[in-house]
Amino acid sequence: MTAEALDQEHKSGERKWRRRSLWSLVLLIPLALAVESYDSVRTLLRNNDLFPRRVAWGQSAHFAGSDWKLTNLRGAFGMSNLPPDSVPVLADFQVKIGNSDLQKLWLGCKVMLIDKDGRRWSPTSIVSLKTPDNIGNCVSAIFSGARTGDTLNLRETFLVPKEATKSIWPAIGVASERPHFLLFQLEKD
Amino acid sequence: MMRRTANIILLLMAVLFCYGLQISKPHYGDLIGPIPARGKLGDTVVGRAFEVHAEKVEFARKLKVDQFGQQKVLTTGGVWAVVSVDFAARSESTVVSTASWRGPAGLTYDQTERLSFMNGLLPVAIDPGLPRKARLIFEVRPDETSNATLLVSEKLVAALDSQAEIALGPVAVGADGLPAGTVDTLDMLQSP
Amino acid sequence: MLEGARSRLKAWAVAGIGTAVAIAVAGVLGAFGARHEPLPVLAPASQIDTGEWLLRPLKAYVTAGKYTYGMPLKPGGKALVLEVEMTNRTAKSTKDYFDVLQASPATVDPATKPFIVLTRDSTMSPELHPGMPERMAYVWQLPNGAAAPASFDLTVIRKTYKPRDNLYGLPGWFNPMPAGTLTLPIGAGPDSTDIQP
Repeated sequence: MTAEALDQEHKSGERKWRRRSLWSLVLLIPLALAVESYDSVRTLLRNNDLFPRRVAWGQSAHFAGSDWKLTNLRGAFGMSNLPPDSVPVLADFQVKIGNSDLQKLWLGCKVMLIDKDGRRWSPTSIVSLKTPDNIGNCVSAIFSGARTGDTLNLRETFLVPKEATKSIWPAIGVASERPHFLLFQLEKD
Repeated sequence: MMRRTANIILLLMAVLFCYGLQISKPHYGDLIGPIPARGKLGDTVVGRAFEVHAEKVEFARKLKVDQFGQQKVLTTGGVWAVVSVDFAARSESTVVSTASWRGPAGLTYDQTERLSFMNGLLPVAIDPGLPRKARLIFEVRPDETSNATLLVSEKLVAALDSQAEIALGPVAVGADGLPAGTVDTLDMLQSP
Repeated sequence: MLEGARSRLKAWAVAGIGTAVAIAVAGVLGAFGARHEPLPVLAPASQIDTGEWLLRPLKAYVTAGKYTYGMPLKPGGKALVLEVEMTNRTAKSTKDYFDVLQASPATVDPATKPFIVLTRDSTMSPELHPGMPERMAYVWQLPNGAAAPASFDLTVIRKTYKPRDNLYGLPGWFNPMPAGTLTLPIGAGPDSTDIQP
């Protein structure tokens, strides 16, 4: 083999590899992006209530190891000392404890009201209505030491503008189930 | 010879280019800083999760406050600046926690911590559809009152989140060095 | 072959000498840094610049009052109070003054953290604002049964400004270092006069 021919072969081999490398980028760049963004996407999904799981009125749903049921949603009209056109709304839940490791499963528990436009209300501290002793809220329930088979009554109080009271649904999200959350339908739905 | 000169020129250009990149590149702190939503006194400034409308600014030498049922008069080393604002939540309930007063020289005055017992100060919880009034109270140097900017954000570190920046406009200075219209005692017992 | 070996030897020698010089320079600089310079003695009647703060000691006294600037004392206990005028030299409101003044272990138990109070209205450790001098009181609880000393020593700690820290790239004050020592006479009580400059 002459030196020239050897050189020629060398060049074509190099060209072939260069082409292969360039084509592999088509695969490698999206792969690198996916690996890089994996943690961010995971955090985004873990921290947000994104996908509702609807629960029909009167039904209970298995969520975070327990069975959740909406028992009541009502407005407390006629209170004084409130911002104009606002109504306190009480949401009552009954939870039958399945897995009693609440400190892990119910962490980041967030009860909210969602209206038809997607606006979300968190529990308020402006209104404090007296609740019976056997009714707790989501956070106090975590530390109540409830065992498997117990039934807990939970209540959260919200402050909602009057115009929104016609179309609101209660919802519950916990860290262990995110991005999914429970959206309770009402009797009228 | 030509080739070597060309190489040296190329190298110098590369060095210059890299230096340009280095000095023009924004720093990490700038990249993750707050995202400004600008406006002026009287505007409604819309951020990602909240809206704020600053109505008026009052200056006072002393503040009359109610601390646990006891009336107190609070003095300051500078001048009290009290901004009356309306907050509104956009699509979610949220809490507005921090406000600062940035003077014309760039000095940043956080909301005073001497009135933490008072109602209607930050942090303020706001719900969608239910606007709320609040008062932001600062102690500032008299020479930092004119052309100041009010900074309002939800969290202490507003990284990658909205920060309302409200231009408060010029303030005339009186003969005593304090802003014109400074009252001697501002009564905070009246609701805003 | 021989040519190659020689040039390789040369390269090794250059690299070795370079390393040795670097280590020697670092060692000499380290030795300079480790040398203990005696801390400067600061005049009590002066303005002390700690980088973040401008301090002007006003007076020190021991009190047995039940409340010292709103701080309850243990029954029968005494407290050492240092009143000092502090000016925030930075561009932002801050309360980074907890470690600026350290009382000598001879007078105060090093484990005792002082209460720091704004004398204007006894607010407990509020943020101080840029360019506004405020009178602050450091209140150290004294060990039970300790006699009131005639004077006490303080170490003043200064910090260095970094426009960008290494973790977040944000400005801040770092690297606390003793800036000097200060001996203050202990006055009779809360009514003793301020130190005049």
